[in-house]
Amino acid sequence: MSRFVPGVVRQSHGLQRFMLLLGFGLVFLFVFVAIFAPWLAPYDFNADRANGVVFGTQQGPSADHWFGTTVGGTDVLSRVIYGARTAVEVIVLAVVLSGVVGVPLGLVSGYLGGWLDRVLVLVMDALYAFPSLLLAIVVSIVLSGGNSSAIGGILAAAISITVVFVPQHYRVIRNATLSVKAEPYVDAAKVVGVRTPRILRKHVFSNVSSSLPVIGTLNASEAILTLAGLGFLGFGIEPSAAAEWGYDLNKALPDASSGIWWTGVFPGLAIVLIVLGATLVGESLNDILNPLLRTRGADTTEADQAEIEQEFAALDGATDDRSLGRPPAADRERSEGTDAGTDAGEKRVAALSLTDLAVSFRTDAGQVRAVKGISFDVAPGEVVAVVGESGSGKSVSSRAVLGLLPSTAEVTGSARLGDRDLLGLSNRSLQPIRGDRVSMVFQEPATALNPVYTVGWQIIEGLQAHRKISKKAARARAVELLEMVGMPDPEERVGYYPHQLSGGQKQRVVIAMAIACDPDVIIADEPTTALDVTVQASILELLLSLRERLGTAIVLITHNMGVVADMADRVVVMYRGTIVEQAPSRELFASPRHPYTRALLDAVPHLGRSDGPGLVDETTDVVLTVDDLVVEFAGRFGQPPFRAVDHVSFEIRKGEVLGLVGESGSGKSTVGRTTVGLQQPTSGTIHVSGQQVSGLSDRQLRSMRSRFGFVFQDPASSLNPRMSIGQCIAEPLHVQTELTSSQIDAKVAELLESVELGGSYAERFPHELSGGQRQRVSLARALSLDPDLLIADEPTSALDVSVQARVLELFRELQQRLQFACLFISHDLAVVDTLANRVAVMQHGELVEIGARDQVLSHPREAYTQRLIAAVPVPDPIEQARRRAERAPIG
Amino acid sequence: MSTAEVLAPLEPAGARPPSRRRGPLSPLARYLLVRLALLVPMIWVLVTMVFVLMRVIGDPIQAALGGRLTAEQIAERKADAGLDRPILTQYWEYVSGLFRGDFGTTLTDNRKVSDILVVNGAATLELAFWSLVVAFAVGVPLGRLAARYRDRVPDVLLRLFSILVYAAPVFFVGLLLKLAFTPFGWPSSGRASIATELTLQDVHPRTNIMIVDAILWGDPALIGDVLKHAMLPAIALGLLTGGVFLRLVRVNLLQTLRMDYVTAARARGISERRVMNKHAFRNALVPVVTVMGMQVALLLGGAILTETTFEWKGLGYQLSEYLIRRDFLAVQGIVTVIALIVGAMSFLIDVIVAFVDPRVRF
Repeated sequence: MSRFVPGVVRQSHGLQRFMLLLGFGLVFLFVFVAIFAPWLAPYDFNADRANGVVFGTQQGPSADHWFGTTVGGTDVLSRVIYGARTAVEVIVLAVVLSGVVGVPLGLVSGYLGGWLDRVLVLVMDALYAFPSLLLAIVVSIVLSGGNSSAIGGILAAAISITVVFVPQHYRVIRNATLSVKAEPYVDAAKVVGVRTPRILRKHVFSNVSSSLPVIGTLNASEAILTLAGLGFLGFGIEPSAAAEWGYDLNKALPDASSGIWWTGVFPGLAIVLIVLGATLVGESLNDILNPLLRTRGADTTEADQAEIEQEFAALDGATDDRSLGRPPAADRERSEGTDAGTDAGEKRVAALSLTDLAVSFRTDAGQVRAVKGISFDVAPGEVVAVVGESGSGKSVSSRAVLGLLPSTAEVTGSARLGDRDLLGLSNRSLQPIRGDRVSMVFQEPATALNPVYTVGWQIIEGLQAHRKISKKAARARAVELLEMVGMPDPEERVGYYPHQLSGGQKQRVVIAMAIACDPDVIIADEPTTALDVTVQASILELLLSLRERLGTAIVLITHNMGVVADMADRVVVMYRGTIVEQAPSRELFASPRHPYTRALLDAVPHLGRSDGPGLVDETTDVVLTVDDLVVEFAGRFGQPPFRAVDHVSFEIRKGEVLGLVGESGSGKSTVGRTTVGLQQPTSGTIHVSGQQVSGLSDRQLRSMRSRFGFVFQDPASSLNPRMSIGQCIAEPLHVQTELTSSQIDAKVAELLESVELGGSYAERFPHELSGGQRQRVSLARALSLDPDLLIADEPTSALDVSVQARVLELFRELQQRLQFACLFISHDLAVVDTLANRVAVMQHGELVEIGARDQVLSHPREAYTQRLIAAVPVPDPIEQARRRAERAPIG
Repeated sequence: MSTAEVLAPLEPAGARPPSRRRGPLSPLARYLLVRLALLVPMIWVLVTMVFVLMRVIGDPIQAALGGRLTAEQIAERKADAGLDRPILTQYWEYVSGLFRGDFGTTLTDNRKVSDILVVNGAATLELAFWSLVVAFAVGVPLGRLAARYRDRVPDVLLRLFSILVYAAPVFFVGLLLKLAFTPFGWPSSGRASIATELTLQDVHPRTNIMIVDAILWGDPALIGDVLKHAMLPAIALGLLTGGVFLRLVRVNLLQTLRMDYVTAARARGISERRVMNKHAFRNALVPVVTVMGMQVALLLGGAILTETTFEWKGLGYQLSEYLIRRDFLAVQGIVTVIALIVGAMSFLIDVIVAFVDPRVRF
């Protein structure tokens, strides 16, 4: 605790810190009083006389009795002081006991699930739903039956209270366990055969335990109130055995009507203050530690930024004039020069024009400059793409335009819409502009729509905010808008709730809202990132057609170079808050000037390359055989099971990489998880190196775990945040080998070396690493046991392109050297194209097509594969324009 | 309850996948049926637990009447009450009695538990109603205010207020209220003056809910008297619940205000007031209502203390009387009734959630 406190205090600030310290102060005061009660109290709590002199009953406060005397003729002050002792004893016992019982129950029940879980949930919910005081009374009667000893009474009270709080501990810990259980690092531990007790201890408990101080302190305050309630009703500790505030209050109740205040007010205040102290501590801890209540931090870590910066410095080192703060003069000239050319000599009137826009955030760590003075503009009917990697400030600058940044942001410069500067306008004066003249399309359509209103309601709301229009006319307009964005059956869908629509349809609704008032400018912030590639193609199509029809200027924020090539007239490349280059799209792709742009373009994998890997020798051993695999998930109440994988068969040879591609929900990840036993197949068999692995129990499978490794998608959650990098990589070695700890250390160092991280990384913790570095660590962990088979589930899809390129490079090199077989699962055809020998395509759980890489990706036989490939935008504007022209007559 | 309420937002509300297939029942009907079906085991567990606990305590007749009667008399009373038979038989009779609406009979004064429910239950219902009125009037507007001024002075003061209200036991608040109001002759115990109670005996049909009876009688003086008596208990209990509501509303509003759809609504030019009312508040209601449902238990627990403090002759007051008399058959009956009330309330809350959140309905 003592180690814990300063850290927490340091994390707090301002009033929060004041509340926390006040809470701690009160709690320590009462603990102090409790410990030294016999020395502090002037009399014994039950004494009604001193030196033979009777105190007298209900005497007001005096020099002898500061707080007066009770109806029983005892000293109020002494009773209050001894009451603190009773309270602290009971609380400590109750909190410890309920934790000791509730925490393990919650852990085991949440982790193991099954009938045990169901029964426990039922019992605990029933206990929880019941008036806690009543339960405590009943239990205390059962236990005490008139027990008169102090220790027995305190224990009985503590146990009565414990029964009440066990369900709370249980619920909180079980919920936390359920969420931790779904974390990839728990799966990662299971894959290498870590036993359940160790997983519970090392992976689950260590991460769940952070909520314990919060529950503990909050329960403490409830424990005091319950104890006082018990005492008040006469079911507490026997009055002769210990002083108890609730009991005193009960005795003081009749006094209140006759104006005797001191008998009740002092014990009551004692209760209020100690509960206040404990609650303040608990609430402040919750405020500080609960990630949901914390102000949202940056999406990227320091390490991510450092990594990108390093990369940039390496590129930039040669040329001095291209320093960060000052965009090179040559680029500016060039962009201005070419601007004139694009609009056929017409004088450009910008729809939106940013000049020297800078944004900084006030954070606990000081001022952070997110955007450092950028200038660009967009003309009516023009699509300007703003590209950059995470942390480049591209989203922040667009939100700054509409004043949508949190109040910690400070924005300078100007953003002119026509002849008005939007920056510095108040919320009230921005309101008529938002959605009317400038509107936004968001990345995640699922969260950009309010789930409790119909889509029609939401469109109408936007219309009525800006136009004087009747409900009926607005509704007609909403239907018209939905029709315009290609929503099938708009008359009916206008009355749908968002969750009744698919992701692509939701994004169409968001776009319909954006064009509702014929805005001059649409800012589209990664509008297709959350969508599947075929849906992406149709949404991009829609945006372009709207531009054509409405003449709207579009600012398209994206990280996807293919989308840029497909859509943009001009491109603005951002890096760490500055613009490094802006140029017309074709020019930028054909001859990027800035080394950063060049590197960025080089890093983008191209689909349809001719120099990709070929087939491996037919005679090499088969490592993985999947035969007629079917995986079904039980349906919800009264519904048929959902078939995620439908009769899938394939094999992978030694040294071969099979790329498994498909859109979301195609079942590709389920295939991977089933292969390593994280999911049981419904039917069909799986063999690894000739041995059957499907249908085995965890125990039988454990010895074979060393044959396969697994790399997960999300680098943020695939490593246990409480374990050092070294511990993460060493875990499979501990579990599966007999190596001594020095041998393990050596092996870890070697593995880190092989993924191009130095040995010093072993001491660090995951949050200190960048996403790319964490994926390297994941790779090292997966390779630690020299597996025959590696399953990589979207290992690079959460990474920026330049980082992805380097991780893929490393991956390819390791695979060549170690010759493991690999199932590489990805939604990104271009990534698969760079390293797979063969490619398999899945749709709706079925294997649509499988074959050699160049055959499947360059000359697909199946219609679905052809559609999939056609939908992937290639980072080449000329090629994209050609494709669009080809498609145009059909669409 | 504080833990649950503070940590509750961790559980996403209504985050279940939409059911795609439509069976013979509408999704809403299916949802409500499932909820109802889930209640049965919960109530069963509670009833059984109460039964077992009451048997563990010991022989109710011995406990209640031991010392006052001879051994033979006690044995006779036991045989009368059927307590000498095997425990499973007693359990079966008890449970099947519940299905017939028979909650048993008290030992000490031979009242039917169902009568207690009618008379004292009405009193508790009345108290719960008034205190909910206070709780909503205090909690919801102040919670919105605190969320609106997050981390600024009003927020800090309101949070301190809510913690103080929570930290003060309801009987201490009651005591302070009594200290403050009795000097002015304000009534601080009972549900009405004796004269009023006597008059209201004659109301037909009698609901036992004083305010309704008084309105039926139609004398403004009586209504005023009943309201005056209800005020202090309602404030004491209502403040406690109101503090919880305040924090619930605040936390959930803050979370919904951070949602993308709120930013999206602002980006569409929706006025700040409308964003707050239509987008943030309605969505925040889902978890708030859910947790409020759990507060029923708190309210009933608090009612026991409040009723004792103000001599408000409700279920809780009656229960603690019987507890002191060690009349466990009465306790068992009343506790079972409370379990049923808790169950019914949690079902009611599910219905309300279904109407607030369309994801449940479709």
